[in-house]
Amino acid sequence: MKVTEEELCRHSDSVNEQLARYGVKFGIYKGGEFHEQLFPFDVIPRVIGHEEFSYLERGLKQRVTALNEFLRDIYSDRKIIADGVVAEEFIYSGSGYMAQCDGVSPPGGIYSHISGIDLVQGKNGSWYVLEDNLRIPSGASYPMIARELCMRSIPSAFADNLTEDNRNYPELLRRTMDYVNTGGHSVILTPGRFNAAYFEHSYFAERTGARLVTCEDLTVENDRLYFIDYSGKKEQVGAVYRRISDDYLDPVNFNRESLIGVPHIFDIYRKGNVALINAPGNGAADDKGIYYFVPRMVKYYLDEEPILQNAPTYLPFYDGDMRYVLENFDSLVIKDVAEAGGYGVVFGSKLSSKEKEDFKAMLKAEPRRFIAQEVIDFRDIDIYEDGKRVPRKADLRAFVLMSDEPVVWKSGLTRFSRNPDSFIVNSSQGGGFKDTWVMKEES
Amino acid sequence: MRVKKLRYSYHMQLDFERPAWEHNFKLRCFPSSDERQKISGEHIKIYPVHFSNSERDSFGNMCIYGTAKQIHSHFSVDVSGIAETDIDGKVIAEPHKAGIFKYETPLTKAGVNIREFHRSLEPRGWTGEFERAVYMMRMLCDDFSYVSGSTGIATTAEEAFTIRRGVCQDYAHILLALCRLERIPCRYVAGMIPGEGATHAWTEIFDAGIWRSLDPTHNRECDDTYIKISSGRDAQDCAINQGVFYGGGKQTQSVHVSVRIL
Repeated sequence: MKVTEEELCRHSDSVNEQLARYGVKFGIYKGGEFHEQLFPFDVIPRVIGHEEFSYLERGLKQRVTALNEFLRDIYSDRKIIADGVVAEEFIYSGSGYMAQCDGVSPPGGIYSHISGIDLVQGKNGSWYVLEDNLRIPSGASYPMIARELCMRSIPSAFADNLTEDNRNYPELLRRTMDYVNTGGHSVILTPGRFNAAYFEHSYFAERTGARLVTCEDLTVENDRLYFIDYSGKKEQVGAVYRRISDDYLDPVNFNRESLIGVPHIFDIYRKGNVALINAPGNGAADDKGIYYFVPRMVKYYLDEEPILQNAPTYLPFYDGDMRYVLENFDSLVIKDVAEAGGYGVVFGSKLSSKEKEDFKAMLKAEPRRFIAQEVIDFRDIDIYEDGKRVPRKADLRAFVLMSDEPVVWKSGLTRFSRNPDSFIVNSSQGGGFKDTWVMKEES
Repeated sequence: MRVKKLRYSYHMQLDFERPAWEHNFKLRCFPSSDERQKISGEHIKIYPVHFSNSERDSFGNMCIYGTAKQIHSHFSVDVSGIAETDIDGKVIAEPHKAGIFKYETPLTKAGVNIREFHRSLEPRGWTGEFERAVYMMRMLCDDFSYVSGSTGIATTAEEAFTIRRGVCQDYAHILLALCRLERIPCRYVAGMIPGEGATHAWTEIFDAGIWRSLDPTHNRECDDTYIKISSGRDAQDCAINQGVFYGGGKQTQSVHVSVRIL
């Protein structure tokens, strides 16, 4: 292992150069401006042993299965509300709930085809789920291409053949698209090349053999979706892996200002004439408030004990939790449920006493808006910086792909904070990434 | 059974300043049969239509959607038919499915003014949900005036309440905002009443498993002359017409409704 790492580190610059050439970048909007920046790759992989990953795998499958059941339930029978397991406030007043999806059965009964579950490992070794991303989780392409480039540059690092090959992601994605396809082509719908994740869109299209399309290439006629090729010929489309958020998906049904959506695509989706990957309305299940209830969902729908645990979380919405949060404010991290990407996150201990009082007042005025969590002491991971190894906070985004059964991709996106004092690893806040090596079972 | 027969016609026209094409539309202006009304002899004409299909949306409202590909300078829809209303018909729903109607939407969000008004009412003295809603409606009507043209389709409940003026949509939105502060499930209804003119809007209040209709504009419970077109959380869920098109320039919408008691 030691030798391997030295070798990897020697190639750090060249691999990063190649990544830049491939366009492995992401863009962020800040202050109304669009900036594109490189996503720095750290060559030292995060290594997860076979046993440990098997445990994560079981827990992730269980969690995603329960979340899928939850989505099916809240958009149909609402048993979990009737039984009082989840407070309905958190469903209906969350921004992710889409009333227009009520009563719609997506093809194959699948809501979350591709789930990105963010985990962290505590100092004591136990894993915690920090967030479920069931809308358009991105990032699988990064470790995949990094692996590809590393294998090419440093073949010796993989010569022992002990690491699970993560280049099968496109096969899993293809299987997921084909499984729900209602007849015709599978396509990847991108907002276009100015999107932050355009590299990923084009990379997946190339590797899965699915066409990469924009709204211009698609049309709805007589309740079917068609792809129009360069000669004007129409071919039916049965599955759309759309990398466009719900709001912009269909200007007739949602935001009419959208120039990147397909008119009426939602109408025919409602009729079961096309699969949308992931299903619209999934935001109802990955809301920060709903997160609190996920372990309960596992028990409720599957009658099993949750294998993976949440970070200890409090909902000020409940009086008992509110008291705890006010009393233990300094040891908690408070998150605004409406924010994402590492924004709206406040560490109680970092506020001045005036700010604390103001924040507590806001908490009391709008309890539904916040969750509070114990600050987890992450296990640091080493990164290679200026010729030496330095410890940094990191998380892991694991990907679960659903077809006839949930499959966990044997890799994942490890993101780290480049700032040694920061716990926030989001790429939009300047973090970097690592490949995640899952070890094979030792024979 | 008390039944009334009404003949209705609805006309909506969009006039474009410049020609429009590739016009994708979704119309929600078709009364359909339920426990309180039976629709028959329905006639629908949409101009100029290339493709159209229909469905019921998540709130159960009938929609016709499609595309008018050709160049056109106006777009219109005509709907007519007979509605037989039954005032004793009960619109029943399971309480846990009415939950979604308890929560505010951007159009029905109570701001400081509505909240203050709500506090001054102390509606807790009224036991039943419907009684509480009626009481709040009465108090609202004492403090609010119908002034046509004073608000627009995007005006929120709070904005209209602040100027104490508005039209039927505003009355309905404010009553919904008040009821939602009480966590009473309530919904917006778009429909028609006898006479000539525009569409009307009122509310439905969920009380003991039944949706009951209340018309805050007229400060009364709805009678058997109300024809329901659609319902939802607010006016946006009941949008008569959602459309996107190329060209067109400035557009003017005109609506004419006619309802006669037979």
